[in-house]
Parts: sequence; structure tokens; C-alpha cells
Amino acid sequence: MLVHSRGARWAVWAVFLVLFLPLFALPLLVVLGASFATHWSSVLPSGLTTAHYEAATRGEALQALTTSLVTATTASLLALATGTWAALAAAALKRRHRKALDALFVLPLAVPSVVVGLATLVAFSQPPMLLNGTRWIVIIAHSVLVTAFAHQSVSAALARLDPAYEQAAASLGATPAYVLWRVKLPLLLPSLTAAAGLCFALSMGELSATMMLYPPDWTPLPVLIYAATDRGALFTGSAVAVVLMTATLLVLLAVSRIRTRASYR
Amino acid sequence: MAVLALVFLYPLALVVRQSFQPDTGGTSLEPYTDVFASSAFREALWTTVWLAVAATAGCLVLGFVLALVIAFVPFPGARAVSRFIDVFLSFPSFLITLALLFIYGTVGMANGAWTDLTGADQGPFQFLTTPWGVLLAEITYFTPFVMRPLLAAFSQLDPGQLEAASSLGARAPRIVRRIILPEALPALAAGGSLVLVLCLNEFGIVLFTGAKGVTTLPTLVYGKAILESDYPGACVVAVVNVLISVGLYGLYRVVSRRAGA
Amino acid sequence: MAPRPAGGIRFDHVTVAYDGNVVLDALDLTVEPGEVMALLGPSGSGKTTALRAVAGFVRPASGRVFLGDRDVTALPPHRRGIGMVVQQYALFPHMRVADNVAFGLKARKVARAEIRTRVAEALEMTGMGAYARRHPRELSGGQQQRVAIARALAVRPDVLLLDEPLSALDAQLRSGMLAELARLHRELPDVTILYVTHDQVEALTLADRIAVMDQARLRACGTPRELYRAPADAFTASFVGGANLLPVTVGSGGVSLGDAEIEVDTTGAARGASATLCVRPHLVGLGDGPNRLTGTVGEIQWRGATHRLYVDVAGHRVMADVRELKAPPVHGEPVTLHFAPEDAVLLPAGVSTGEE
Repeated sequence: MLVHSRGARWAVWAVFLVLFLPLFALPLLVVLGASFATHWSSVLPSGLTTAHYEAATRGEALQALTTSLVTATTASLLALATGTWAALAAAALKRRHRKALDALFVLPLAVPSVVVGLATLVAFSQPPMLLNGTRWIVIIAHSVLVTAFAHQSVSAALARLDPAYEQAAASLGATPAYVLWRVKLPLLLPSLTAAAGLCFALSMGELSATMMLYPPDWTPLPVLIYAATDRGALFTGSAVAVVLMTATLLVLLAVSRIRTRASYR
Repeated sequence: MAVLALVFLYPLALVVRQSFQPDTGGTSLEPYTDVFASSAFREALWTTVWLAVAATAGCLVLGFVLALVIAFVPFPGARAVSRFIDVFLSFPSFLITLALLFIYGTVGMANGAWTDLTGADQGPFQFLTTPWGVLLAEITYFTPFVMRPLLAAFSQLDPGQLEAASSLGARAPRIVRRIILPEALPALAAGGSLVLVLCLNEFGIVLFTGAKGVTTLPTLVYGKAILESDYPGACVVAVVNVLISVGLYGLYRVVSRRAGA
Repeated sequence: MAPRPAGGIRFDHVTVAYDGNVVLDALDLTVEPGEVMALLGPSGSGKTTALRAVAGFVRPASGRVFLGDRDVTALPPHRRGIGMVVQQYALFPHMRVADNVAFGLKARKVARAEIRTRVAEALEMTGMGAYARRHPRELSGGQQQRVAIARALAVRPDVLLLDEPLSALDAQLRSGMLAELARLHRELPDVTILYVTHDQVEALTLADRIAVMDQARLRACGTPRELYRAPADAFTASFVGGANLLPVTVGSGGVSLGDAEIEVDTTGAARGASATLCVRPHLVGLGDGPNRLTGTVGEIQWRGATHRLYVDVAGHRVMADVRELKAPPVHGEPVTLHFAPEDAVLLPAGVSTGEE
């Protein structure tokens, strides 16, 4: 313990709360509060109502929720498959090739997502692949964006995996494919689910690339929130945002349940 | 590999190609000269860079202080707070701006309270649609990105070192400066450069602020491509943006590798 | 499974190098079928590399590895038909004990019913029958080690590779497991065992023969008794049991250490040459006798049943382990030591000494 005197400790905590509460806790509370209100021009919101939620769980918003969920699930699964495969393949490569592959896979982290959106738009608006205006263009962009994260966490986990397991399995007569399926993947399962959760959350909240790409019939939640706030419907926007956060949290919670089961088996 | 090349590298290459092809046809540097000459671009470049640098600095200071308290002056609920920070990371950035609209917006909480109290027509908080609003939102949203590696680094720090130092008569500020800070430097460098890159590329926060006065490179790309349909121009800005952030990201990788993170 | 080979391991001039760094230098060694061979040496001596070359985890730069009469040098590990137990056990944490033991059998597509009996058999043999439903992390270190051995034995290998299998256990468990391993080998006399260790007690207890390794090379190979009673060089002498190694000059019918004349068998040593005299500390006695050495006590340690004396004789420190003394000499006191001529061995003068 760094601070020993009681008074000093309280002082430190007070500073912490003063910094922490308005910056981090307040925004979320405010969004939550606003989603139940019709007016907010004083300290507390007024005109409490649940009407926004009725709007936010019906029609356009409900469709956007489904869109987001489908996009995020597809993109995370695609990203997880590619990322894991690439991480496994990279581990089997020579050092120099491995570095090149790693660099290639982390590049989407550094490239602005708006640019990824623009690039996807430019590439798939012309032959040979005409995908502009379809939902696939959104899903492809999301997959590209989150693959980098999946690859990073899987390859980090792979590097931590003790080679003794693989070798013990091989010495017992297991072929490399059998080792991968029965030993490596089960041992990586906690990291894989963590990566899936991360990808899902990122894809759920992805706005920048989506803004460049979305077709009218495939509007994910963030775009809907933006559209709502842009036309001044802040309170409806908040309600949709709360729906978005709740959906993300529920999925993350489910994923972490799976993970706990996997790691404590 | 081929898949990634197809859906990522190929589009990027097309962007670069298109940036050399003005609407008039042919291949030239015309889009570049056009864009570089425009004051909107230069302003956006400047705004992007200073916002990113300022936000990074703010995140580093704030993140260090907060992580320090959580790790070394723990209070009941400190673990819950650090879990909350993990959750925070999984939310989209524009939520922060949305919340700030309610708090500091023209008719928001803070101004509302002020007008109620003083009877004035207008509240004093009019900064939201200025770069300062963006800065506040970016600091809020990205500070957890600094805190996470810091908390990880702090948890590796041997408490015996701190005990030894305080038994030798060092007081808290001295321990922080001489023992904790050197230990935390790699994590600070890594987190800081990550935040710098993310700030350079941030789009949602700027878009949601709705401030016409604040244009950064990513919003400029969006504006040129979607609103003005000026694809070559958008591609030029995109290329510049990519160069800056990939360069910085390369630096981040080097730093974090040297730090062994 | 491949046709059953005759067992036994043969290293034929095996050299292993990492990045131009030779970690195993032209090893020639044959382990007979059913024999327990200990590879004994300090860390970095190349002993683990030799074992991993048999398992197939390192590819020799030159030379061949034979299992029975099969040349396995180019075979991947999973086609070599060996059993292996490593220091950190490497039990699969996501599988129960029974599934761990069944792993090799399932990988070889053995029939279900057969798997069940063989898993039960292997667990019975290692005394872990009651733990089949547990997960590895619910077991103690010693129990995990037994499961690892059961897992390796379940595939009925002709060759069992043990890489420092006891070094993660505490001293008491270690001697218990040592007895257990000896019993297993009595029950499975056909299994050839290659046992890598840095602990001379394990090697002396368990092995039929010991191969002493140092700095990537094989230094000596022989039965424990040969290596202990008549070591071939100073390194082997000091690594297999403790030893006094004294620089002497060969005379007629004996050697001289400073002023002292010592009677010892000098067959094969040229007169006037320098040599190293090796005497085991517990064969050195206190008081007058043959091969008398006088000196002063430099240090004395009480070890319960024995006293160890460090005596400075003509500028050299001589160790003597004697039965607990009623009135031990004190620091600086002059004492006389002696040893029987047949208890000393004359070695060629060597510069290298091993750490004890």
C-alpha cells in the first residue's frame, strides 16, 4: 500500500471519484436517463416515459438490431476463422515469413476504418466484384476490420501455449491434425471466445466504415443512432443506444460464461 | 492469406490508384496538388494532429493517475471499477459524444442548471461544437485504453519493491517517481501510441459532435466521398491519413516490442 | 501400429547444432533392448538434446538415430512409437485423467473396448486407478507424474524416454518415485528406458549403465559401479559422487603430493608425469594409517551422522567424511588423514572439473 495515513488515503480516493465519476460513469448514466425522458433542460431529465423503448424495439429499430446482430455474428465468425487460421499458419512458418504475415494482419488496426470503408467501396463498386448496395459489402468491411483483433489475440495466446503439450501429444503417436483438433484448439478455447467477444463488440459499435457503405436495406444500429441524433431526436437515439449497449453486454456476458466453463473444466 | 489480400490489400491498392486519377481522366498528380492546395485539407490535417496529440497527452496523465489509485491505493469496489473499464472499451465511441450532448449541450444538464440558478438566457458551456468538445470526448473514451496496459504492468510490479522503498524512508511521491514510473514507462509508451493512432483515425466522435467547424481527416474522407462524390479527392486524403497512422502504428509496434509488451 | 521393432536405441555419430552452435557433438551410444540407460550431466551438456533427437523434436545435422533396427532419423515424432515423460508432465489440462491416458490409444485408433482395458491397466500399474475421473489440476505433483507415466506406458512403447522426470518433485516424493520407477521396470523388463537427469543419485539408483555427458560430448559410459570405483577422468569422478582430485607427480610405485609420498597403483602412468589422484571423501579416515597426509583443519561441518572435514594439505583442500566425532577438531588444528592404496585411482591430469 502506497499511502499509509488514513486522511491521505481518503483524499486520494476523493480525487479519484472526482475524476472518475463525471468522466466515465456520468456519460453512461446520462444516456440511460435520457432514454426514459422527453425533456432534459435542467439538472434532471423530465417527462419520464418508456415510449422511446417502444419505438426502439419495433419496426425500423428492431430491424436495425437484427441487422447489427447478424452482421456482428457473421463478421466475428469469419474473422475468428481467418484470424485463427492465419495465427496457426504463421506459427508454422519461418521467422521472416511469419513477421511479414503478422504485419499484414495487423495493418487493418492502423488504417483508419473510414479508409477501409472507402477502399471497400471503391473496390466493390466496379467489376469483377459488384457488391455495392448489398449487405455483403458491410459484412466484408466489418470482417476486415475485426480480423486484425482476432488474429492478434489468438497469436498472442498461441505464443503463450507451452510447446510441451504439442510434443507430448506427438510422442504419443498423434498426427499434427489430431494434435490441432484435440489438444491445441481446446487449449486455445478461452482465448478464442475472448477474441470472439471482442470482435462482436467492435462490430456492433462500428460506425465509420459502415457510414461509407451501408445500403438502405441494411442499416445497423450505430447508423440508426446517428440518423436519429442528426435529425434532433436525441432521446430516441439514446434509447436505441441503450438497446445497443444491452445487446453487446448480453453477448459479452454469454461469451464470458462459456469462457469460464472452458477454462475451469 | 489470399482472402485477406483480396478484401483488404486489393481495395487499398485501388484507393491509391484512384488518388492518381482525376475525374478528367488520365493519370496525374492533379488530385494531390488540388487537395494540398485547399485550405480545408490543411485545416483538417492540423486539427487532426493537434487534437490527437492533445488527447493522447490528456489520456496519459489521466490514465496514469487513475490506474495508480486503482492499483496502489485500492478501495472497496476498485476491482469493479477496473472491470467497468473493460466494459467501457467495448462500447462504441460515439456514445460518449451522445452523452456529452446531454450534459454540456446548449439545452443540456450543465447549462440548464446554470440558467435555473442564475436566470441567465444562456449557459456558459458552449464548447461542445468546438474542437474542445471533441477533445473532451476523445480523452474520456480513450483513457481506458491507456489504463488497461498500465494496470497490467502495475500488477506485475513486485509489492516487495514498494515495501523496501518505503522501509528505506521514501515517501509516496518519491516512490511513484523513482519506482512506479520507470516500471510503467513501457506500458505508457505503448498505450500512448495506440491512443495516438486511434485518435488520428477517430470518426464517430467527430461526426456526432455535429460541429461544422471541426473537420478531421477521417471526416474529410467521408465528406468528400459521400457528400461531394469526389472520389479522387477522398482517396488522396485517405492515402495521407493512412501514411500518418501506419507510420505511427509502426512506431508503436517497435516501442511495444522493445518494452517486451 | 508399425511392425514391432526389436527395441533398443542406437545413436550413430549424431550431431545437433542450433544456429551453428553445436549442442551435441558426434554422439555414439547404444542402449540395449530392455536396458535402463541414464544420461547424466550438468545443464547444457547435451543430454536433453540427445533425448529429443530420439523423440524426433530435434533434427540431427548429421548422423543417424535407430530404434531397434529402424532408422528413424527422418521420421516425424508421431510415427516413432515411443513413450515420453517430461519434467513438467504436460498433462492435457482439458481432459480427465482417463482421457489423458487414452489419448495415445485414441490417436492410434485402437478399438474402444481395448482402450478401456489398457487405460485401466496403465492406471492400475501406476497406482492411479482411483483418480481416473479427476482433472489434472486436482492432482498433486507426484500424482500428475504417475499419470504422465501411465499415459506414456498405455501405448505400450518399446522405448520410454524420461526427461528429468523427478526434478519437479520435492526430496521425499522423489525417493518414493525412484523406487516406483525401479518397480515398473522390473514389471516391464522389455522396455528400453533412456533416463535424462542431472542427479547422480537417480542415475546410480536406477540405471543399468550411465552415460556421462559434458559440453555436448559423451565423457564416459559404464555401469554405475565402474564409474564410481574407477572413473576414467576427473569430470566423471567429480560428477558421479563427490571426489578429492589432487594434482600429483608420478614416482616409482607411487605418487607424490608436495612432500607426501603416496602408495597407489601407477600402471600405465609414465614416471615423472603429472596426474590427478582421485579419492572419495568417505574413504578418507582421520588418524594415522597408510598413505598418511598431514594438514590443518580449514573448515568443519557437522552433518548429523557424519562430520565433513576440509583439511589443507600442502596447499590443497582435502575433504574427509568421517563418522560423527565425539570431540571434533577445531578450526586451525593440525590433523592426520589416511586412505587405503586400493581406494585411490590415478587419472590422467585434466584441467576440467565438474561442479558438484
